[in-house]
Amino acid sequence: MSPDASSHAGERTVAIDTDGTVDAARWLALGCVLALTASYVSVLYGVTQVVGGSRSLVAIVGLSLAAATILAGLIRPRTAAAVAATGAGVGFAYYFTSAGVELGVVLTATDRLVSDTVALATGLPLLRMVQAGTWTLGFAPAPVFLSWYLAVRGRYAASVVPGGAALCFLVLTGDAGTLVTLTGTLAAVGAVAFGELRRRGGSIAQTDLLAVLFAVTVALSLSVSVVPGEPTGPTHLTQGDPGSLEATIDAAPQRSGISGQVDLSPEVRFTVESDEPTYWRTGVYDRFAGDEWIRTGQDERYDGRLASPPGSTETVTQTVTAETELGIMPVAAQPVDLGGEVTRRTTVSRHGQPRPETPLQAGESYTVESAVVDPSPAALRAAGTDYPDRITDTYLQTPEDTSSAFGDRTDEVTADADTPYDEAVAIEDYLESTKEYSLDVSQPSGNVAGGFLLEMEAGYCVYFATTMTQMLREEGIPARYVTGYTTGQQVDDDTYVVRGLDAHSWVEAYFPDHGWVRFDPTPGGTRSDVHTDRLRDARANGNEDADTDESADVPIDGTDPGTIEEPPDGGTPDAFDGNETEPNDPSDVQEPQNDTEPENNATNDTDDPETSFNGTTVDGGDERSWLERLSAIARESVALGVVALVGLAAGARRTGAVARLRREVGVYWHGSRGDPDRDAERAFERLERLLARQYRPRRPSESARAYLAALSAAADEGELPTDPRLERVLEAYERAAYGGGVDRADADAAIAVVDDLARERLPVIGRRE
Amino acid sequence: MTDANPPPDASTDPPTDGDPLRIDAVERLCDDIERNVADVIVGHGDVIEHVITALLGRGHVLLEDVPGVGKTMLARSIARSVDCSFSRVQFTPDLLPTDVTGVNVFNQQTREFEFQPGPVFGNIVLGDEINRAPPKTQAALLEAMEERQVTTDGETRELPTPFTVIATQNAVEPNRTYELPFAEVDRFMKKLHLGYPDPDEEAELLGRTVGDHPIESLEAVTDRETLVAARETVSTVQVAEPVREYVTRLAAYTRENAHIGVSPRGTISLLRAAQARAVTNGREYVIPDDVETEARVVLGHRIETNGRERDGIAVVEDALERVPVE
Repeated sequence: MSPDASSHAGERTVAIDTDGTVDAARWLALGCVLALTASYVSVLYGVTQVVGGSRSLVAIVGLSLAAATILAGLIRPRTAAAVAATGAGVGFAYYFTSAGVELGVVLTATDRLVSDTVALATGLPLLRMVQAGTWTLGFAPAPVFLSWYLAVRGRYAASVVPGGAALCFLVLTGDAGTLVTLTGTLAAVGAVAFGELRRRGGSIAQTDLLAVLFAVTVALSLSVSVVPGEPTGPTHLTQGDPGSLEATIDAAPQRSGISGQVDLSPEVRFTVESDEPTYWRTGVYDRFAGDEWIRTGQDERYDGRLASPPGSTETVTQTVTAETELGIMPVAAQPVDLGGEVTRRTTVSRHGQPRPETPLQAGESYTVESAVVDPSPAALRAAGTDYPDRITDTYLQTPEDTSSAFGDRTDEVTADADTPYDEAVAIEDYLESTKEYSLDVSQPSGNVAGGFLLEMEAGYCVYFATTMTQMLREEGIPARYVTGYTTGQQVDDDTYVVRGLDAHSWVEAYFPDHGWVRFDPTPGGTRSDVHTDRLRDARANGNEDADTDESADVPIDGTDPGTIEEPPDGGTPDAFDGNETEPNDPSDVQEPQNDTEPENNATNDTDDPETSFNGTTVDGGDERSWLERLSAIARESVALGVVALVGLAAGARRTGAVARLRREVGVYWHGSRGDPDRDAERAFERLERLLARQYRPRRPSESARAYLAALSAAADEGELPTDPRLERVLEAYERAAYGGGVDRADADAAIAVVDDLARERLPVIGRRE
Repeated sequence: MTDANPPPDASTDPPTDGDPLRIDAVERLCDDIERNVADVIVGHGDVIEHVITALLGRGHVLLEDVPGVGKTMLARSIARSVDCSFSRVQFTPDLLPTDVTGVNVFNQQTREFEFQPGPVFGNIVLGDEINRAPPKTQAALLEAMEERQVTTDGETRELPTPFTVIATQNAVEPNRTYELPFAEVDRFMKKLHLGYPDPDEEAELLGRTVGDHPIESLEAVTDRETLVAARETVSTVQVAEPVREYVTRLAAYTRENAHIGVSPRGTISLLRAAQARAVTNGREYVIPDDVETEARVVLGHRIETNGRERDGIAVVEDALERVPVE
């Protein structure tokens, strides 16, 4: 072969190689763009899972991808951008129409649009939007289409821009969590890197640098625990320490979380002077995301008057005095008028629940005039099902992942009930009678309502109320989840001391012509006992915050003024809005209970909540939760760990650590044998390293024979003598490297010699020579 | 060894012209010649080996030294150890080219010109004090060395096989010599230096001169055919890719670090010398050590340096020191 020909051949080989790399890089880059797309679509998908429309979202995304693939070869980027913009325009126009906004208004009221956008970008989660589903469907197609269009055209860096922007936006709204953000970021980096690799014809082997970059990114992201979206810690004032029931219920102004085991705080929060004992409501939530409750819609500033319920009501006036700093505004449902200094900084949710913009200070007080709905069961039974649209639009939402078993069980429970009221009572009875009360539970994965109804045997108010709300909705009865405090400890005729451990959540169901009626599915008796124990402990521990001046003298149980607890508890589980008895009174009936609870409420807690509750823990619950928690941790951290490991491996390869290790081990262990020539050469290489350690390394310009000769010469001058067996290894090596090759026996002999030498020189403590 | 018919001993039963000998036979042959020569020449074992490997590697040798250290004696001993034709040319300033190559003489009886072969027609030719003759005469010899043929009056005559020139030149009296042109020195495979003997060796040397000079009693240990066969053997010695690359790297180094580096003819010579060296060590393949051993004498005189303080040998030493073997 002429030198020409051979050099040509070489060129051809290189060209083929490069092609392969470029091809691989292209697929990898496309894969990364898809991963980026998947990252923000998964967030949107999560939203539609809650509010419905996930199928439409999948369809829209699929169509966008298909359209982008087809159009990539047909239209120019400018046209594509126009198409995307048009798509987004149509989507949002649809959103505005369904949100009840005139399109013409949108065009003129740009400031409103801008302020909405700013609200989203500064942390308004998508789920708080009333029309979150429609918004999502309008938002999705533009970035998906544009980024995939650019990626298919090979402009990977450009394709990351729309995708990255979409992801950034979702990070700002707080919907994209750490894992999603990390995945998206890595995918974006990967897309740009592989795109560049392809463009510049780099080698796929260079990706190890990329792996290192990924690993560093992952490591850094692990050290940064707060991404805007992850509400790792409440940034506003919540009542109670993290982990307490209050903090769980009141995790953030707009959401109410559900967690596993919680504590009870015995500290006094506020006192109420009221002509009627009732529940003190602090939050209303309408959207259930499977593991938390969300309040949709914007709050409005209190302007002096609140809507009152449609039916007959009883007016109750309360004066609430904060005993600690208070970020909430307890009121009896439904408040219609507020008085006091705080009203100047009060906002009202679209459900009619007030809340202070800045916390109330201890001692600050305000008055509330409430219109308490007070219908009779007969009236409620006769209320019918003619719900207004604005109610059904909002209060019938169930997450898409609600299992059919949940619906089936609900149907069973309500099989005998003919009216919504009867159904509600049946559900209430069912939950009270079949589930135990316990604060020491582990949160089920996925849909909490389903998990509680179908699997768990015990829970606390959050579980009961959540499940009942969802069951009502499942039956087509508008319902909402309400948080607040029970009546508290009665210390005077009309004065109630409310503590942290009185925190509670319950259900409000809507009845046409009457409004929202309260139901409390939580078993009253056990709850009281548990809470009473807490307060007793707290008092015993000398917790000063556990009492006000008045309440301190009041004994915890039995003797109290309103201790009517027995009958409800012991008597019938349905205590509450007792069905057969006085329908209407939810409120009436409650009283007794409330009272009891409060009194009992005395609890706790200081620090050992757990100990007292462990007794009531559901067996097996712990174990399962442990496994589940592990698997939850495992899934994320395994994924991250794999990336980190790959990065480490790539880094090690870059720095030659692996090769060094293999060399180090190779001195003592020949490993698998194959070609005798190769084995003979390796035997000598091992010998060389052995000698290098003992004497000096071989110089590059030194031939093998010269090296050994030099060592032997040095040995003559008094250094350690070299072994005559070396000659055999050397000969095998020379024959393999320069001659006609060695046979198996010679190679094995050489290996044997080196093995012997290595063993003799193993650095074992105490061995001489 | 249960073989009833042991392989024929090559040295006792020389094969016909051109068939290669076995490696061990050639190794023994070299030992024999070396021992034979050592009867005459005291010490200088390495130089004797170099001359023998040049003989086997089809190269010519240039011996340069001060007068009287045994250059001529070395050449004669080698020649006598091999039973082949030996001729000698004493170069002087008035020597003519035809005195070397031969001349057409008019034969009175046949009334025709007859070619009278010059001393160059021999298996081993000793060119004594080659630098005393004018360039024209030197060129006649050097042309014969390169082309292994002689052209006189338009007629080309082949030189015998083997054909090896051992030339000597005096390193003294530079103003009364014609220094060999650089291009022509390149045609010698090796340039060797003898140097003065050690005191011990000199004493031994003096002892031997009592009575008959030992060279008179020197017997041939081999013949022309065996030598040719041995040369065949040498040319079959395996040179592996890494060794060739090593030689290439050495040459490249000299080209980068000297005014004029080693020519391709130099690298070819080096490989041939290394092949011969491998055989004398009983190996049928060349190892880098063979190359290293031969590099100084084969490459040194082919390198021209600018500075006086560094000669070609120094450049080769540097190369051996710096160029990686593998």
